[in-house]
Amino acid sequence: MFDSSAAEAKLELDGVTSGYGPVAIVRDLSLSIRRGEIFALMGKNGMGKTTLLKTILGLVAARGGDIRMDGASIVGASPKALVSSGVGYAPQEQPLFQDLSIRDNLRLAVHSDRELGAALERVFGHFPFLRDRLAQKAGTLSGGEQKMLIMARALMLGPDLLLIDEISEGLQPTVIARIADALRAEREANGTTILLVEQNLNFALDVADRWAVLKLGEIDDSGEVGAGSRERVLEHLKI
Amino acid sequence: MTLLLDIVTTAAILFIVSAGLLAIFGVLKIVNFAHGAWLTVGAYCAVVAGGLGLNPWLALPLAFAAGAVLGGVTERLIVRPLYARPLDAILATWGLGIVIGQLVTLWFGRDVQFTESLLPGTIHVLGTTYSLYRIFALGAAVVIGLGFAFLLEGTRLGLSARAIIMNEALARALGLDTARIRLVTFMIGTGLTALAGVLLTPLTSVDPTMGVAWLIGSFMLVMVAGSSFGALAVACLLFGGAQVLVSTFISPILGGITVAVLCALVLRISSKGFARV
Amino acid sequence: MSDTVTAPIPSAAGRRRPLILAILAGVALALVLLGPLFLDRFSMNVLTRSMIYAILAITVDLLWGFTGILTFGQAAFFGIGAYASAMLLTHIGSSPALLGLALVLAIVVPVLLGVAVGWLSFYYGSTPIYATVISLVFPIVVTQLVYSGGTLTGSSSGLVGYFGLPFGLEGFFRLSGICLVAVAVAALVFVRSDAGRLLTAIRDNETRCAYLGLNTQRIKIALTATLAGVAGLAGFLYANASGVVAPENTGFVFGTELVVWTALGGRGTVLGPVLGTIGIDYLSANLSGELPFLWQLIVGALFVVMIIFLPNGLAALVTRFTRRGRSEVVAGGGPTLVPEKPLHHMKTASGPLLSIERLEKSYGSQKVLEDITLDVAPGELVSLVGPNGAGKTTMMRCLTDGKERSGGTVRIAGQDIAGMIPNQIVALGVGRKFQVASVFESMTVADCLRMSRAALEAPSFVTASDALGLPPAAIEILRLTGLDKLLATEVSLLSHGQKQSLELAMVVSLEPRLILLDEPTAGLTKTERTTIGAILKKLTSELGFAAILVEHDLDFVCDISSRIVVLHQGRLVLDGSVQEVVNSDIVKTIYSGGEHV
Repeated sequence: MFDSSAAEAKLELDGVTSGYGPVAIVRDLSLSIRRGEIFALMGKNGMGKTTLLKTILGLVAARGGDIRMDGASIVGASPKALVSSGVGYAPQEQPLFQDLSIRDNLRLAVHSDRELGAALERVFGHFPFLRDRLAQKAGTLSGGEQKMLIMARALMLGPDLLLIDEISEGLQPTVIARIADALRAEREANGTTILLVEQNLNFALDVADRWAVLKLGEIDDSGEVGAGSRERVLEHLKI
Repeated sequence: MTLLLDIVTTAAILFIVSAGLLAIFGVLKIVNFAHGAWLTVGAYCAVVAGGLGLNPWLALPLAFAAGAVLGGVTERLIVRPLYARPLDAILATWGLGIVIGQLVTLWFGRDVQFTESLLPGTIHVLGTTYSLYRIFALGAAVVIGLGFAFLLEGTRLGLSARAIIMNEALARALGLDTARIRLVTFMIGTGLTALAGVLLTPLTSVDPTMGVAWLIGSFMLVMVAGSSFGALAVACLLFGGAQVLVSTFISPILGGITVAVLCALVLRISSKGFARV
Repeated sequence: MSDTVTAPIPSAAGRRRPLILAILAGVALALVLLGPLFLDRFSMNVLTRSMIYAILAITVDLLWGFTGILTFGQAAFFGIGAYASAMLLTHIGSSPALLGLALVLAIVVPVLLGVAVGWLSFYYGSTPIYATVISLVFPIVVTQLVYSGGTLTGSSSGLVGYFGLPFGLEGFFRLSGICLVAVAVAALVFVRSDAGRLLTAIRDNETRCAYLGLNTQRIKIALTATLAGVAGLAGFLYANASGVVAPENTGFVFGTELVVWTALGGRGTVLGPVLGTIGIDYLSANLSGELPFLWQLIVGALFVVMIIFLPNGLAALVTRFTRRGRSEVVAGGGPTLVPEKPLHHMKTASGPLLSIERLEKSYGSQKVLEDITLDVAPGELVSLVGPNGAGKTTMMRCLTDGKERSGGTVRIAGQDIAGMIPNQIVALGVGRKFQVASVFESMTVADCLRMSRAALEAPSFVTASDALGLPPAAIEILRLTGLDKLLATEVSLLSHGQKQSLELAMVVSLEPRLILLDEPTAGLTKTERTTIGAILKKLTSELGFAAILVEHDLDFVCDISSRIVVLHQGRLVLDGSVQEVVNSDIVKTIYSGGEHV
């Protein structure tokens, strides 16, 4: 669908089909995401966005097609292997250990406690409020703070590829703006590639370079972010 | 006074015997019905240590190692294929228990074995004379309880295990090696159970079927406790206490079923048992 | 999938089945009657016991193999039957009348205890593991009571030296054999009857059973009690044939042995457990003299290997060859579809069919639904839309389970559903279709449909009928989706879309007045969606059903709905016609991310 050479593609999906049991949620989907870009994948509920992210991360098995990261196939790789090779993930459903402290939630994102200090300093740069509240249980944070914690956890290891699932859901515009700033800063500093799954088109078109709309597990439309994209996306998202 | 000591030491022994089963059930959501066999294996480690003329205390590390190694093999070969079929896992581990029991029988014979007592004699506490070993068992239960608390709260492995208990899907998504954590947990659980088997030797006769007698009690206590060691301690105190009272004032035979019956009733009222404590 | 080879016509096989069974039973009877002519005393002794144990294995198989209830408790019912007989004969005496009384007691006492154990084990929301826990505790309690019974029960040495039925060794061999054949035949007839399929349905998907209006708790209690009686009968036989009862006969270890034999023979086959039990018990008796522990070791190891690699036992190896037909899509065959007149089992009530008032649901301090008020009348197709987490599925749950909600009232046909469990609500005329097709995977299409009629018309315990009576609307769904040609096909072989259609047909077969559908088109192809859409439209606008639909595909919703209700963050924000909702600014705002567009 996109004309991009393999050299600059960070993540390529090639005819990917996946789903649960007999149900194919993602169907024959192809997509190429360039190194260092922020890509927004939009679409209404139930169209396969979350399943696609889970398939990339190896949480749901791909039933067909190929997924390549930096040119090498990652189909069948374990989530552990992918996380180790620089993939960060901010999930949407039950995304935090509610009964664990903020510190322990963040600690689970690093491989050993030796890396913890440096990683914490990294994310305090984006979300300073976390520094003073490390001992607090994640479940006691407000909705917006929880979202920032999820974001912080995904950034702990300074990932090369960041997969983010509807981080803006139910958030105030001010919090959304802080998350948008963190994403931009992270890309600026490390050249991070970001795949953003979103329903909030204001946020998505604000931070993304390119967009695509998913419908019934297939790409319905796509383009560069620019004048007129907003109307085109809204055409797909509205009732 | 003796009654009070009986209650706390009985609870302590129940706790020691059940802790390994709880560790496995809490993290793996699998009931290890070969639990009794590991107690037996542990007790026979004490027999072997005695036969070799070793210091009886050396049986403790020996049993832990034997139990853990055996547990590792079991997790890999028997339990891992059955994570999705918990009822079948109960059956397969029960079958394994039969196998281990018969192997022990083939090796050592059916007869009751005797081991050197770890701590003979009595001690003067709270105005009465009481078995020194039972007091020691109380201490051992506290050490095991604190050990688990440290392992769970203070170490990375414990944190990972707790993460899996709370939300396994998320733990996997964050790249935790759930397979390895399950293996290690199973090994710790079985190692500890074998160690508990050694600790049982001064209190009970050692024969190939000794473990089965303890299986149901610990199974019921673990069902009630869910995945919390605190809840297990509470359950052991309450039901162990009831057991001592029934045995003392009504009938020792009925005392033997007190724990199981009370646990079943508690579960009927609240299917989560004491897990919320 | 469509051009399948012609398979053997199952209805013909179905007609041949009673004949095969009769021949089998005849051969088995001949064997047990003539057996004493060939067997030595030792073998006859052992086999008498083995055959009694085989009766127990059948009861374990019906509970565990067919219904999915793993039980260790049958040993206790057996022991109670045995002890009831032995105690009566020991302490009161032996006469024909007393023997008759012993037989009655040996059956009635276990049945009563079976009701109690069943009541304890099966309640709304109980877990399978809890039933297993109870089945463990029960034999332990019984054994301890026997131990503490003093001279009444003979304590640890058991009871011996009473006078039972005046049969010799050969007589008991034949009696046990006849009883075994009778129980096995009864079990085989029952599991193949329309009522017997209920057991498999419960094992496959108990939730679906409840939402077909079946009281699964009561069925399981009845089954437990009945099989307790059978186990008690076996206990009576045992007490007479062996002349001794001991505490081990009641214990949980014996209970586990029964499960081991059943598993090795092949759960869910009746004959497998019988052969497994007789084979292993007979071999045990013969080998235990020479290699006592090694034999146990081999049985244990075999058991472990079987559970892991061949969970359906040795019988699965056999049926893999004989039951080929079941693993293929079968075109044609199966029962004949018969349109039934609507049963009108529901009360007609004035006012709206569904009336929700200030419905509220919260988890702790988090409110998932708040202040929902809504009426639905017959003939309406109301779509429930809203972003993820709006509370749509939660609301569906509150409508079908009277214990779900935290506040407000829900009335169906005028009746408040507070405290009602799903099967009671289904009886009020509600059918629920789940998001992921909830059907019975290991049963045929026809059997699935039959289950949805089981709550309306009591199924036969003996026969498997050749006709399948369904409401015309359900038959039409089957025709439109081609399922009417696949009635004899096992559900696990159907495509996802076919399963969704089958579930819809099952729900319609309940003759509900209100159908709740949770994303019926998720994962379907365009054509399948169009078909389902057409069916829903017809059901509501022509046939007068009311329907509530949760759906994400708004094009689909706009096509078929008569009304749309929008939920957002647990509140009802809009309730209006398709036009009103499509043009509403609120909806645009919700779907573009919270800020005003």
